[in-house]
Amino acid sequence: MTESGWLVRRIAGAGVVWLLVSFLSFSLGTLAPGNPAQIMLLRRTGEQPAEIEVHRLRHEMGLDRPFVERYARWVTAAAHADFGRSYRTGRPVLAELRTHLPATLALAVTAFVVGLTIAIPLALVSAASQDTVFDHGARLVALAGVSMPSYLLGYVLILVFAVMLGVLPVSGTGSLRHLVLPALTLALGSAASVSRLLRASLLDELGADYVRTARAKGLSGLRVLTRHALRNALNPLVTVSALRFGRLLGEAVIVETVFAWPGVGRWMVESIYDRDYPAIQGFVLYIATVFILINVAVDLSYRALDPRVRPGSPAASRG
Amino acid sequence: MRLPLLLVVLVGCGSAGSDSTPERRTLVVAYGADEFPLTLNRERLGRYPLNAGICEPLVRLGTDFGVVPVLATRWERRARNEVRFFLRPGVTFSDGAPLDARAVKATLAHAVRTRIDYGFLADSSIRVVDDTTLDLRPLRVNHRLVDQLVHPTYGIFEPNSDPAHRPVCTGPFMLADYVAHDHLTVVRNDRYRGMRARSDTVIFRFIPDETTRTLALRAHEVDAIVDVGRSNASALARLPGLRIVTASPGAVLVLYMNLNGAAAHDQLRDVRLRRAVAMAIDRRGLVEHVLGRSAALVATVNPPSVLGAHAALVHGVAYDPAAATRALHGRTLTLIANPGSVDRATIEYVQAQLARAGVRVAVEQLDVAEYESRLNSGAFDLDLELPSQNDANPAFLLALRWHSKAGTRSAAFTHASTDFDALVERALAAMTDDEARRAAAEAMHQLVDVEVGAIPLAGISRVYAMSDRVRGFVPHPSRLNQDWSTVWLAQ
Repeated sequence: MTESGWLVRRIAGAGVVWLLVSFLSFSLGTLAPGNPAQIMLLRRTGEQPAEIEVHRLRHEMGLDRPFVERYARWVTAAAHADFGRSYRTGRPVLAELRTHLPATLALAVTAFVVGLTIAIPLALVSAASQDTVFDHGARLVALAGVSMPSYLLGYVLILVFAVMLGVLPVSGTGSLRHLVLPALTLALGSAASVSRLLRASLLDELGADYVRTARAKGLSGLRVLTRHALRNALNPLVTVSALRFGRLLGEAVIVETVFAWPGVGRWMVESIYDRDYPAIQGFVLYIATVFILINVAVDLSYRALDPRVRPGSPAASRG
Repeated sequence: MRLPLLLVVLVGCGSAGSDSTPERRTLVVAYGADEFPLTLNRERLGRYPLNAGICEPLVRLGTDFGVVPVLATRWERRARNEVRFFLRPGVTFSDGAPLDARAVKATLAHAVRTRIDYGFLADSSIRVVDDTTLDLRPLRVNHRLVDQLVHPTYGIFEPNSDPAHRPVCTGPFMLADYVAHDHLTVVRNDRYRGMRARSDTVIFRFIPDETTRTLALRAHEVDAIVDVGRSNASALARLPGLRIVTASPGAVLVLYMNLNGAAAHDQLRDVRLRRAVAMAIDRRGLVEHVLGRSAALVATVNPPSVLGAHAALVHGVAYDPAAATRALHGRTLTLIANPGSVDRATIEYVQAQLARAGVRVAVEQLDVAEYESRLNSGAFDLDLELPSQNDANPAFLLALRWHSKAGTRSAAFTHASTDFDALVERALAAMTDDEARRAAAEAMHQLVDVEVGAIPLAGISRVYAMSDRVRGFVPHPSRLNQDWSTVWLAQ
């Protein structure tokens, strides 16, 4: 298959996935027990609303319309980037995403970069000094990082850096200092899993024939590790990193709550509790779109990084 | 989300003292999540659910749940369903504009238009008599209107101001700054007619997580925190430089019963079984061993002070595990609980108590929407809730939850007898506060002692934690009515 033909098929497949996700999110949302009109009115007073009020609001929200009609309207509008208005706040869902998304992206991107900055050197040193005290120590730390729930890690970091040392704020927004603890909380968990994976991948590569050949040619250990083994070990890392970025968005829910960070994660959890269907569906479609685009980007990067999966390569032909 | 006690105790080990901090005229209070962005709260910025002292209603709720005059100095019943309010003369808004009856009418009409009114009023209900006099005629006959107008939703704002973004009111504070989900700042209103606010500025920081609020207090980022849970409160109480302040009970933990359930949930239609459930639960044990200092033993479904001396008419069912076991052994009941207000320890206590009487209690973990759905479909036997009392109407909860004409869907399953209905109606139609309290107490006696339609488990108080330097704080049993204008930070 040609490069352009592959690209067209990949994008068409992504479109089908997008449509399926839209249908599933709409169906599951409306099938879940709970009446958004009831919840909205409940939030007004904290007490049970009168049934007549619930009916009136439900009608105004269009929730008494047939399912198919509601889905058709919604998906058509969504294709034009109109996800409707949030039941909870009355604002357009897109405006809500624009409000909350930058905070989450700032958090997730910072955590992602910090996570890789910690993970890659750790994995390189650990792989180069396999079975030494340093390697065991690094693996132990990584295991603790993977095992510790992010909210607990968040509290411990607050305890140390805000309460005991007083060098960073406990929570909130407004400066780069406010970003440090939530980003570190997310990054440490991410770094732990990425470093474990990269170490394993590096060890595989270090045992390969081409590494022995490189060593036999007199290349230094550092050069073999960074120029040869690392490059080939990066493929699984690219996949995992992309998925980790998606998971960071998920873990951000907890971290945003702990650090009072006004991101999309906390907004989404509250929307789910309140059965704010437009917000939930808009967010799911947004996440699906991000994941689909990331996957396409990952496939493209594979083709850039690994000649074996390019069209016309012998390996691709065998595949 | 709660962090185990251990973490908070650990905090005490390494924190630096702050006695060297220079005097601040700014008080920082850590509040829970910011709910102002919600559709039905946007038009109540600074009034509800966080009452920042910007706006004042005609009347407010006293700490004894009585009505206290504020912008209205007095009121009188004019006809069967009309109340005339006489406004306090010489009151000005913080921008200098005078308060008059037209401003009150504009505020109440705004509440009706934006649906934040609780269904008492319509545009036609409000009539301006002259600059300082106003008649209110509720939509339905409602002799408890004045009791209900204490809610901060009815805080009066200047008609030319924007209540959603920049409300201008008559209270001791003025809105200075609001950033959604981050903070709301108020500054002292120097035009205030009464005692001026003790702090120049109060910053309410929105921190949804209780443990993070606790840590913010320990890190001296905030001076006071609201809604401290039991484990954090007892840990904080042991730390130097901090104190715990507990209000009198403003809510009651109530075990509701499905009195009219169908098929799978019809066991508690039988009053003998309901009484046996009540006899199976050691309420004193719950207060002493589970809920601790934030709880009190009560027999009423409202805070007892709402009923005054008449609260003594309600006794509660005595603990009798042997009799309970004889009636209940081998049964299975389904228990649901309001996820927003009832904690796991309380649920497990009730479950364990009933298990001792031979009842298998199936506890279902539900989110708010599922919980509401179950409540409205009658798919439960027992339901644990913690309703708060935020107005002065002694019959408000009785009318809302157990009256057959409450109008809520869940009332189909919880409504009590016609005798009870008659007593509630008498309370709502009472001409004096004492009559209303007496009738409400009699209705509660009917509900709790005679029909056993609900079991009041414990009175629950708001718990605050604050620095020792915080002075002048007087806890109000209703958080919506907490006054921050008397509070300051000592040097």
